[in-house]
Amino acid sequence: MKAFLRTLNRSKWGYVFVAPWIVGFFIFSAYPLWLGVKLSFMNYNLVAPQSMRFVGLQNWINGFRDPLFWRSMINIIYNQAITIVLTFFIALAIAYGLFKISTGKRIWNSFFRAAYFLPTITSVVVVMLIFGSMLAPYGPLQNVLRQINILKKPIVWNLTPALIMPIIAIINSWMYFGVQAIILLGGLGTIPTEYSEAARIDGAKERTIFWKIMFPLLRPQIIFIMVMNAIGGLQMFTQVYVNFGITGGVNHAGLTPVLYIYGQGLGKFQMGYASALGFILSMIIVIATMIVFRVLREKD
Amino acid sequence: MIKHERIERRRAYIFLSIGLVIVIYPFLLMVMSSFMTATQLLNNPQLIIPVPFTFSGYIGLFKRLDILNLFKNTIIIAGSVTLLNVFFDSLAAFALSKIKFPGRDALFGFMLFTLMIPGVLFFIPTYTMLYHWGWVNHYRALIFPSFVQFYSIFLMKQFMEQIPDELIEAAKIDGASDPRIYASIIIPMSLPVISTIAILIFMGAWNDFFGPLLYLRSPNMWTIQLGLQMFASSIPSSDAQIVWAGEVVITLPILILFLFLQKYFIQAFTNVGFK
Repeated sequence: MKAFLRTLNRSKWGYVFVAPWIVGFFIFSAYPLWLGVKLSFMNYNLVAPQSMRFVGLQNWINGFRDPLFWRSMINIIYNQAITIVLTFFIALAIAYGLFKISTGKRIWNSFFRAAYFLPTITSVVVVMLIFGSMLAPYGPLQNVLRQINILKKPIVWNLTPALIMPIIAIINSWMYFGVQAIILLGGLGTIPTEYSEAARIDGAKERTIFWKIMFPLLRPQIIFIMVMNAIGGLQMFTQVYVNFGITGGVNHAGLTPVLYIYGQGLGKFQMGYASALGFILSMIIVIATMIVFRVLREKD
Repeated sequence: MIKHERIERRRAYIFLSIGLVIVIYPFLLMVMSSFMTATQLLNNPQLIIPVPFTFSGYIGLFKRLDILNLFKNTIIIAGSVTLLNVFFDSLAAFALSKIKFPGRDALFGFMLFTLMIPGVLFFIPTYTMLYHWGWVNHYRALIFPSFVQFYSIFLMKQFMEQIPDELIEAAKIDGASDPRIYASIIIPMSLPVISTIAILIFMGAWNDFFGPLLYLRSPNMWTIQLGLQMFASSIPSSDAQIVWAGEVVITLPILILFLFLQKYFIQAFTNVGFK
């Protein structure tokens, strides 16, 4: 007993210092999670609470059957398929370029690194406003493309369902390839230079050295990027809300799952249904994350 | 060998410069457009040079948007979140890295596990809870739910583990208590990681749109991101230069922070990876 008390006394500050996290966890994570479970079994309108009643699995069943929710799921998968591939390969090329110049002048080195980082520090709202004007039918980009005859007539991309998600994907790539390049560059920096030097002496080409020696050693960074893609990408909201509002635009072509849940919760105040959809989406995200780990992790 | 390297490097410079144009052009368009008149923006958007050059966009920010109030709201929220996190995250990181207490490893494992829960799971029930507490349309709805964050604790813990135990032992022999060690050894030695975390959290709160959209109802409570978006979606095109000026003005503070503290920004992304 005495020994126990002594340990407790010696380590009491440990408990005191982690206490804020524990308290915060209970109030702002554990309790909302429990509330979310409860709400998902209720018909609960936030502004008409007197109508609250228990509906069992109804919200969950409705969620699995909701054509608009699955439409939003397909939209985001389509968007992410383009975003992830495009962003990653541009980032890889830029990272390799930055790696090559790292033996050169310091000033250029940090100049390029900083420049490529700029989109990362810019808010989604600002990026969307800039690109909205830039890509407008009579905006600077389309004007130039028409002058050199690549485009025949103005394109209203945000009213063309087939173009909405691909264009958002291109904007996303512009926003995120820089930070991914910095992450990959961090990985390239940890690879011992003897590896590529030895291969070069053996007569291996630059391209072979990159794909056969360096690329496989980037695995930790690639897993990190892809996990962040799976978690963050599937929860895209601001990009589409800013452009298309709560409905997701023409034919709901810009509707994403989080935008749909937001609409159910804060548009229609159906907190029970919105909670159930939140759980369904979260399960999909966790499964996607596990697939990424399973596919990319080191095989024994 | 050296010659070969130089050719490689020159090719990399050319490639990176092409990429640079793509990265910089939207920013250039933003800055130039912010000095244009509404007429020029409407008629000649392919021109990059403002003719005539005007500050009417920037003046409009004060007259039509009340930009100072938006800044005030944003600074209160982003500043509070940053300060609270720096304090509470570093305390927890110190405990998890340097104080031995029963249950520590289990707690850390649990914290890691919570990182796996997608954020979307929380926003509807948290909104419901804060709505009942009457927190909607108050700064506190955006400050307290994120006053301590595990990801930051994790990064700080990794850094603090590098601090030699001998230093702490020596301080203990001299009779220093844990709070004293925290203030006089841990904090001064962890300033690099604390700066990185502070920047990340401040930038996140500054650029946040979703949180303010959820909780801030009246226009006088709005943050810059929310205020600018609301303004942009409601104005006639004769005021387009105000939106461009707004984009410049709300990006500038983060840009200035970035130019001065570049090392810490980039550091946050250079040592990441999952094995």
